[in-house]
Amino acid sequence: MITLTGTPTLRTERLTLRAPQPQDAPTFIEFYKTDRSQFVGGPMNDRQGWNFFCTEIGHWVMNGFGMFVVTYHDDDTPLGIVGHWYPNTWPEKEVGWVLFDAKHEGKGIAFEAARACIDHAWHTLKWDTIVSYIAHGNDASVALAERLGALRDETAEDPGKEAYVYRHPRPAA
Amino acid sequence: MTVTFSAPELETERLILRAPDLSDFDAFAAFYASPRASFVGGPLSRELSWRSLALEAGHWVLRGFGRWTVIEKETKATVGIVGLWHPEGFPENELGWDLFDGATGKGYATEAGRAARDYAYGTLGWTTLTSLIAVGNDGSRRVAERLGASYDRDFTHERFGDMQVWRHPGPEACG
Repeated sequence: MITLTGTPTLRTERLTLRAPQPQDAPTFIEFYKTDRSQFVGGPMNDRQGWNFFCTEIGHWVMNGFGMFVVTYHDDDTPLGIVGHWYPNTWPEKEVGWVLFDAKHEGKGIAFEAARACIDHAWHTLKWDTIVSYIAHGNDASVALAERLGALRDETAEDPGKEAYVYRHPRPAA
Repeated sequence: MTVTFSAPELETERLILRAPDLSDFDAFAAFYASPRASFVGGPLSRELSWRSLALEAGHWVLRGFGRWTVIEKETKATVGIVGLWHPEGFPENELGWDLFDGATGKGYATEAGRAARDYAYGTLGWTTLTSLIAVGNDGSRRVAERLGASYDRDFTHERFGDMQVWRHPGPEACG
């Protein structure tokens, strides 16, 4: 068996953020078959979803950081995927978020997970900047970015997709 | 913190086969931008090449096997990516090889392919192995022939189009 080692686990009040594992693949792939994925690269078929899930895991190998699977502390069911994303061709490093199922919305899960990832990016990963790229029309994600304190940056380069760039302000030292 | 996965390393007379990582990106992207990648889903942009290299690493974790980056011992150059591959949408486990520009004509695909096949039969205990070869990819077909594989059947891949399945000799024949 080949396992990923060296990935951190983050804990918030209600949530555990851990690296993706093979057993998360079916949930990820099912999400990417639905229209809910339209603002985050989908929808896509089984083959494309499987490839993308491999890329999610490989991202950790390439960069030493990546997207976390978010679960409640006492239940390993994947609620979504939130974390750090940086294909090395992109202009800036991103904190991104996806909730797999609409029934998990409205509970502050994405907010709580994203805030932990923003803290982790500043204080542990020592990033110089953090942005979130949000596809045009993804109003729920825009609202979350604003609740996190991010501001739209009209001058920043986007990574070649139709996206707003939301910039997270650096905390006072 | 270093994130790794425990892929085995293989060594042949002239080559080292090791797990893919970010240091392979420039060579990998150059190959996937070139016309030579047209038989394996290319040409790809640099971003798609990056995603594809990450996929190579993730495949190891999901499947327990994958493709190795091939290093030429003498020069330390990255000469290709060869190994065991079974993404969603492939009919069977396959042995695949992509040699980067300038690395062809030296028998490297055959040498690395034989090492990967020995690992599949010996360590993983597989009983059969195929290679998918795009119609018209004569260079790759010749490698399959040198490895003793023979044409098995046609297969159409959703993205790569018309391909042939070539079947390798089994574990007994490869001794």
